[in-house]
Amino acid sequence: MFNWFKAIKELPALLRANGILGMNARNYAVIARHNSRRLYPLVDDKVKTKDLAVKFGVNTPDLIGVIEHQYQVADVLKMVKNHSEFVVKPAHGSGGKGVMVIKNYADNQFTLASGRIIGYNELYQHISNILSGLYSLGGQYDSALIEEMVHFSDVFKDYSYHGVPDVRVIVYQGYPIMAMTRLATQESGGRANLHQGAVGVGLDIKTGKTKLAVQHNLPIEIHPDTKAELRKIEVPLWREHLLIAAKAYEMTGLGYFGADIVLDARKGPMMLELNARPGLAIQIANGEGLKQAIKKVDKYYPKNLSPEERVAYVLG
Amino acid sequence: MNKIKQFKKVKFNALIKKFRSVRFVLSILLVLSLIYTGISAYYKVKYWGFSISPKQNTNVWAIEAHVNFIADGSPIEVNLAIPSKNKGFKILEENIIANGYKTQKSADKITFTARNMIGEQDLYYKIMVFDNTNGKDKLKDEAPKAPKKPNLDETTLAQAQQILSLSEQIDGNDAIEKLIVMFNQEPLDPALKSYLPVQYTPKQKLEIMQQLLSIKGISTRISRGLKLEEGQKITPDLMLEAYIDKAWHIYDPDTGIRGLPDNFLLFQRGGKSLLDVIGGEDSSIKFSLQKSITSTMNLASRRAKLLRKAGLYNFSIYNLPLSSQNSLKWLSVFPIAILFVVLLRNVIGVRTMGTFTPMLIAMSFVQTGFWAGLVCFSFIVSLGLLIRFVMSKLNLLLVPRISAVVIFVILIITALTFLGYNLNIKIAQASVYFPIIITAWVIERASIIWEEDGAKNAWSELSNSLLVGIIVYFVISNDYVQHWMFVFNEINLVILFIVMLLGTYTGYRLTELKRFAPLVKRK
Repeated sequence: MFNWFKAIKELPALLRANGILGMNARNYAVIARHNSRRLYPLVDDKVKTKDLAVKFGVNTPDLIGVIEHQYQVADVLKMVKNHSEFVVKPAHGSGGKGVMVIKNYADNQFTLASGRIIGYNELYQHISNILSGLYSLGGQYDSALIEEMVHFSDVFKDYSYHGVPDVRVIVYQGYPIMAMTRLATQESGGRANLHQGAVGVGLDIKTGKTKLAVQHNLPIEIHPDTKAELRKIEVPLWREHLLIAAKAYEMTGLGYFGADIVLDARKGPMMLELNARPGLAIQIANGEGLKQAIKKVDKYYPKNLSPEERVAYVLG
Repeated sequence: MNKIKQFKKVKFNALIKKFRSVRFVLSILLVLSLIYTGISAYYKVKYWGFSISPKQNTNVWAIEAHVNFIADGSPIEVNLAIPSKNKGFKILEENIIANGYKTQKSADKITFTARNMIGEQDLYYKIMVFDNTNGKDKLKDEAPKAPKKPNLDETTLAQAQQILSLSEQIDGNDAIEKLIVMFNQEPLDPALKSYLPVQYTPKQKLEIMQQLLSIKGISTRISRGLKLEEGQKITPDLMLEAYIDKAWHIYDPDTGIRGLPDNFLLFQRGGKSLLDVIGGEDSSIKFSLQKSITSTMNLASRRAKLLRKAGLYNFSIYNLPLSSQNSLKWLSVFPIAILFVVLLRNVIGVRTMGTFTPMLIAMSFVQTGFWAGLVCFSFIVSLGLLIRFVMSKLNLLLVPRISAVVIFVILIITALTFLGYNLNIKIAQASVYFPIIITAWVIERASIIWEEDGAKNAWSELSNSLLVGIIVYFVISNDYVQHWMFVFNEINLVILFIVMLLGTYTGYRLTELKRFAPLVKRK
């Protein structure tokens, strides 16, 4: 049993000494101060993020089309006419909710990533649901994005129970300061949420290699389902990963954000989405506090560098 | 873009300093508001007579005696006994409505006189009394003469003696209590039953008791008064008084308990009659009683006027119409509920469904009562979830789906209220007080979390929300909290600054200590 009395007495000082960022401090001292609210739409709306990424030369899955109104839903077949594979996702979704991956489209039949085959009606229904705000934050009307499917590199193949992990990089003042990848497990139901039992792997910001792997807050050595050795993870093209994250700073103007990056087998790292309020679980995966890293950036890191220079500075 | 870059230049530590200055300003405002609240509360207590305890709020009664009779044209004289020199209750306001009558008040009665009145007559005597506590059992009055021995024939006297000796064996503190208990036994002792007439009124019962007690040499008399119970038109309640140890003691003729009961107003003592009407017939008297909700406020306005501090009072919320005051009273509980929600979320770190959902659950619990609310809410949400699961198979769009849930909630509430009424289940009737839209959203959110993150998460969020709701309920349903938040409504200002200060709290949440504890151990 967790000893609350002892925890209240001793832990706050210890956590502070370790530079652990709490939720209140994140919201008040980091997000509210560094992320101007008017910039939020740039990252909350995936269409806008994508437009910006293209403008700044950041690699991202190509946009096939956007469906904004119910009457346009019927146009979806015209849009994907020349695509045998594509992804449908809500522009304002979060945490992968409402994402439908179609890995094969032929003869009016759509094969989902899970292997299930659906017809046009079900696709139509799904897009309608997206538009009505089923997956958007706060249930507001949303638009549906149709984009190119990512062909995931098989670096993570042995490390994930279902789905393909992405790399989350936390960027503060343009400097990538912390990174992790989340590996789904059977227990987490194929989802990448740490509190549901997914494995969090902290990645060394200089090398992209495993720093620490945790499940349920405890360090582990092997993936519980695939039995792969977790300390052997090394993300290829690490510099490119960091560069995408660093460029997003100029792109959005946000002082603090998380960038989710996937590795495409052919096109290399691609920016999937940005998050202006990234969660704090990354600290547990890294066994390290974010505040520490933030203070270091404030104190020592040079200002007014280009993204390339910043990444070079981080890589040392 | 330039502006943003400039903004970014401000360093983390410098920012922390800046927040400290915000905190400093807010702290000063908090201290100022505390001082203001203190002064204002002192003023209200001292000059307006607002009480610190909520109890006195409830003890002011408006009592109306309504005398009705048919005048026959001859000169009329009506004598009405009134409460007098009563230490148990203090008369605040007295009001006589008798059109065309001359009234004259003496220590214990009012005399109405008139000539040339014909037809139905209505006389009203209204008083407002409030409990001024002490002085309950000290009923001083002149000593009675030794009671006359009743003139009874021998067999009756023997019967009476038998009853009295039987009553000695009953549990009780004294002879009077023992006898009263005997009179109220079910079934009656056969000896007593044969002594009593077949049918008798409460007054006749008391008179027989008096007769019996007089045999023992105890002086007694019948008094009339009112049990203070709201709303009813009632006839006066009778009490038995006995002169023991050189003082009159009052006994409840139903229980035998000695002493004036709480909330009992003695109207008339001794054998004198309550109402005498000369020059009229078919006379009757009815009482109506009403407990005044904002009575301390009424008291306060009177006190304020007496002390010539009425100006400020007239300009305060306590001079608004009662209905507005009652709404404000309800509103002024919200800030403390909000404070608790903020504390539980930002300092403790409880995850709940929606920010203020728990607060609204608590609000409806106040209307329904705790257990009724809890049972009803759980039932509505469980049934709603069941229906929602069936509905999720239909793949409806968001707005129509949530609308359907709203309608289902209304139907469930209607059914519960109907069944509750017809089967006389009080708990089920309470369901009508639940906020429909909020309940529907709770169901919708719970079912979405259930589908996406599993039953465990859904139940934990549901139970967290309910738990926070219950905590908030116990805070806002507290009499003292309700009373203070309204009567000393400056507290709202203090709460405002506390909430704003909590907005600058950057420390760890309690639940985060557990979450991040492993990070420390590893070091």
